[in-house]
Amino acid sequence: MALLFPGVAAAQPTADEPTVAPAASEPSEDAPRPTPSEPTVDPAEVEALQKRIEDLEARIDALATEEAPAPTPPAPVPPPPQDPGSALPTPPVESGSDGDADHNRPPNYADGFHFGSYGRVAIGTDAKGRPGRDGDIVARGSRIDESSYLELELRREDYWEKTGAYTRIVSTLAVAAPLFHQTGEFATNLGMRNLYIEESGLGSDRLRIWAGSRMYRGDDIYLLDFWPLDNLNTIGGGVSYTFLDDLTVKLHTGINQPQHPFFFQTSPRPLPLGQLGETQVAINDRQKFISSARISNIFPIGDGGGVKPVLYGEVHYTPAAQQETEVRQFQDLPLDTGFLLGTQLGFFTGNRSTHLNLVFRYAGGLAAYGEFNAPTQLGPDRSSSGAREVLAAASGNYEKGPFGLLFGSYWRLFRNASDGLDVDDLGEGIVILRPTVWIGDGGGVSVEGSYQAQRRGVLLNQDADPEPQFGQMGRVGIIPFLSPGGRGNYQRPHLRLFYLLSVRDEGAQRLYARDDVFSLRSIDHYVGLGAEWWFGSTSYFRD
Amino acid sequence: MKRTHLILLSALASAGGCMDFGGYDEPIVLSQEVDDWRNEVIYQILVDRFDNGDPGNDFGVRGDDLARYQGGDWKGIENRLSYLQELGVTALWISPVVKNVDTDANFDGYHGYWSQNFEATNPHFGDLPALRSLVDAAHERDMKIVIDIVTNHVGQAFYYDMNLNGVPDITLEGNNDVGEFRHYTEYDPDFDPRGVQAFTSLGEAGPAPVVWQYDPATNHLPPQPALFSDPAIYNRKGRTVNFDDPDQLLHGDFPGGLKDIDTTRCDVKEQFVDIYAGWIEKTNADGFRIDTIKHVEYEFWRYFTQRVRTRLAEQGKTNFLMFGEIFDGRDDLIGSFTKNDVPDADTLQREQACVPDGQPLTGDQLDSAFYFSQHFQAVRGVFQDAGPTDQIRALWDQRAENWGTEAMENSTGLIPADAPINFLDNHDVARFLFWLRDRPDSERRALLHNALAFLFFAQGIPCLYYGTEQEFEGGNDPANRERMWDTGFDTSSETFLWTKRLIALRNEYPSLRRGGVQVAYSTSNTGDEPDAGILAFERAGGDAGGSYALAVFNTNQDHDSTTRNGDTAMTVLAPAGTELVDVFSEDRYTVGSDGTLDVTVGPVGRALLIPAAEYEPGI
Repeated sequence: MALLFPGVAAAQPTADEPTVAPAASEPSEDAPRPTPSEPTVDPAEVEALQKRIEDLEARIDALATEEAPAPTPPAPVPPPPQDPGSALPTPPVESGSDGDADHNRPPNYADGFHFGSYGRVAIGTDAKGRPGRDGDIVARGSRIDESSYLELELRREDYWEKTGAYTRIVSTLAVAAPLFHQTGEFATNLGMRNLYIEESGLGSDRLRIWAGSRMYRGDDIYLLDFWPLDNLNTIGGGVSYTFLDDLTVKLHTGINQPQHPFFFQTSPRPLPLGQLGETQVAINDRQKFISSARISNIFPIGDGGGVKPVLYGEVHYTPAAQQETEVRQFQDLPLDTGFLLGTQLGFFTGNRSTHLNLVFRYAGGLAAYGEFNAPTQLGPDRSSSGAREVLAAASGNYEKGPFGLLFGSYWRLFRNASDGLDVDDLGEGIVILRPTVWIGDGGGVSVEGSYQAQRRGVLLNQDADPEPQFGQMGRVGIIPFLSPGGRGNYQRPHLRLFYLLSVRDEGAQRLYARDDVFSLRSIDHYVGLGAEWWFGSTSYFRD
Repeated sequence: MKRTHLILLSALASAGGCMDFGGYDEPIVLSQEVDDWRNEVIYQILVDRFDNGDPGNDFGVRGDDLARYQGGDWKGIENRLSYLQELGVTALWISPVVKNVDTDANFDGYHGYWSQNFEATNPHFGDLPALRSLVDAAHERDMKIVIDIVTNHVGQAFYYDMNLNGVPDITLEGNNDVGEFRHYTEYDPDFDPRGVQAFTSLGEAGPAPVVWQYDPATNHLPPQPALFSDPAIYNRKGRTVNFDDPDQLLHGDFPGGLKDIDTTRCDVKEQFVDIYAGWIEKTNADGFRIDTIKHVEYEFWRYFTQRVRTRLAEQGKTNFLMFGEIFDGRDDLIGSFTKNDVPDADTLQREQACVPDGQPLTGDQLDSAFYFSQHFQAVRGVFQDAGPTDQIRALWDQRAENWGTEAMENSTGLIPADAPINFLDNHDVARFLFWLRDRPDSERRALLHNALAFLFFAQGIPCLYYGTEQEFEGGNDPANRERMWDTGFDTSSETFLWTKRLIALRNEYPSLRRGGVQVAYSTSNTGDEPDAGILAFERAGGDAGGSYALAVFNTNQDHDSTTRNGDTAMTVLAPAGTELVDVFSEDRYTVGSDGTLDVTVGPVGRALLIPAAEYEPGI
């Protein structure tokens, strides 16, 4: 399809997007549309205008031919198929409905330079004036009390007429707390979260190839800031191929090297050739190789809804190596492996991001520790063999009229490689709900409630009848917010106030060191002010 | 449907290794595991040095330095029970189990004698389930666990702020014009009978304040439970420098800044009973080896041993062994901690005030003690240095008087004089082979084998220091605390097989385990005399039934010796005409009509003569 005017493309329906008029789809429930009326323009006038447009296009083509032939200018093209089941913030495609504003839709290709961002800023205090602090006892707790974080994505997208390929170059700079205005110090925690190139349509319209450093992940549980099935951070590359319309296979392999003696250890050595002084020599310098495969399909149901099953797997590997335990004394580290198998079943209605995702996965060996963690509590052979993690998660969103409900939950068992239980072995889980009422289109009030519990592999051995360490925490909060973009649980930006009341039992307090306020308080308050936004970032619009 | 859910949940739990404590989160039931402690062979294990079964607890391991943690743990011992069972030992004395000051002055608390928290496990060794698992695994093999305990002191917990400057000092002070210097360390100042004194430039300023160290990284923290964080429970007199001074012996800090506890206080006595009986109630272990006995008052041992016995017996643990370390060559001093000497009425009445339930205290103390006097006089003096064997006879002759002949109430039933804890060496003395380091290997091994035979044939309960069977030869601490896993747990070495054989012989013949002892021949001769170095003793009577054994040692290192010298001949208890078989050579002997028996043994050799009717070949 030839486009009339550059810049309008993003708002145009494409071949892969539903082209039905909004009125023909499920009626919007909270934003009545004008009644369609008959055309009043004279057909002759239309024909004349069309002829004029075609003349102008012919002149444009002639002028373009007179310019230097290379490089071929990029041309906007239709974006690839969307991934309707993605939870954050990838609503099912429903262009034109009021559920999601344009800037919350996936960015299109070939628009030149793009800027995208995710960010959150939170500042607040407890009842004693201390700064707010993440109070969860489980690994992935409520997002609302997380510290400030920012991603700045700068993206270049080009179309290459000669090959018919599209290039997307993505760089994402991330900033973690504390912010300058908290400390007054010119010091920033920076990380390059993305730095890669992805090619689409090179050789096949259904093929994508990427290489570089990339956050590589699927669907998250927004309330927990958690990707329960797949969340990899590696330097590597991958391919994806879409069979039929919605069956997609993604393969990836990558490398990382956590800065831990399990993977990397240097020791001082004298300089060679009789020189004075020392240099650091890498005694252990092994990397972790991670490969993943993901198969997903979408089975449409009804008008815009569907079911998305996902099968997912990872293989982790690191070669044998040596550590220096004392000067010039070496200890063998065997090669280590791990694997992960998981599945996800997503249901979506295609309306207002309503969906349900169910996830189950099992990880063993190296993979049980996650891709960036070095295994601890090793087995007798100094490997991670025997470590395992089992995880089941459920999350979803439901919106109707001025009401919405987000929820998330997971249950997880982790056993490290060492024989017997210890403090790092745990079972934990959380259930979190956030009902919301929108007041008009510009804001609303959310209430968040959660229950989390954790059992650790230690016994409290003060007497002859030991009990396992078990802690629980309950939390309720109220979150009034402004949402200039309108309604929707995935609509951003938000400006918000929040108050959280957390209740810890004795077991939860025991998880903290002596004199830590969380070890002293059974009840905790947190009053805060926050902002959250996302727009135009590939990290959150998977396609 | 419900059944389907249960199956699914069960599968998930299994797949994830659900938090299964193996039953160790359930209350423990104490059990009686010992019939007669004289049947046991104790094997001393420094936990940190035996085997590393769980790399997950290797905190701060420094394998290049024996003064630092090496990585051994309870799981490592459990993994090696088959090795120990093959050797034949039946009771494992393990290092103290409690949490220690982790490191101090570049030495680690790997040995376990620097208590910081009496109620927590030492995380280097494992957690409570790991300890319970070891005890259970040992019991399944009919092996027992003896836990080492300390009541005399805690680790380097505080310093005396002698110069009142609020920081710990190790300093040399003086004035060159006067020529007088004062060298002191506030961590470990010399003993002062008044208590460690503070001073300023104007002179003494009264008792030095106690300042608790606070360094979580090295676990220098006020001791726990809370009672031990009270300065008042410490004697605060400084380091013992003269062990012959009773005040210093009992009230001085143990060298190294180990702070001495006032063990005459009722609250301390009661707390220690709670703590250590509690460890048995938490683990079902079978006995205590008790550290630094002579540095603690008799009244404490009366209280402690009696209260522990009673408390455990009420729960079914009736044969609980408590033996102690009196590191001293004076046999009467050692025996004074096992002998039931009832104190005078006033003393008992005063001590009785500490007993909350009014149960009358008696003179009962320890069941037994390490036979240090034998270590010095027999093992070192005779079997190493070829001294006169008469000194062994003289030593043994004193034992009934010194150690006592009454068993304690609610106890093992052991008569202390019949059940000394015999040993060749341990973690506090250089290994047997170290003293022979200038001798050829063949001689060293022969001497060790002879001493081992003495260990297993002498009356008492043998205690073998780990690694002796692998010919460890380290010198004094920490060189005598080698890593056992470096040996590969070899079960084919000459000394391993020899030790195994000796234990098997001891197991075969009741007389060697439970028989009385009678010295049949000893001598003052150590030169060219025909009987030089001969020691012969009979094991019979007692609770051995009709079993009989005659052990004949030649401790002379140069020539054959015999049990006769001129008119002096060995007379034995075995009836005239009894035929005896030497289990080592299978030579046969017949007791003469006059009750005498001539046995000739090669240098550094031995014979074990068993009546032909009782003899079991092939061991």
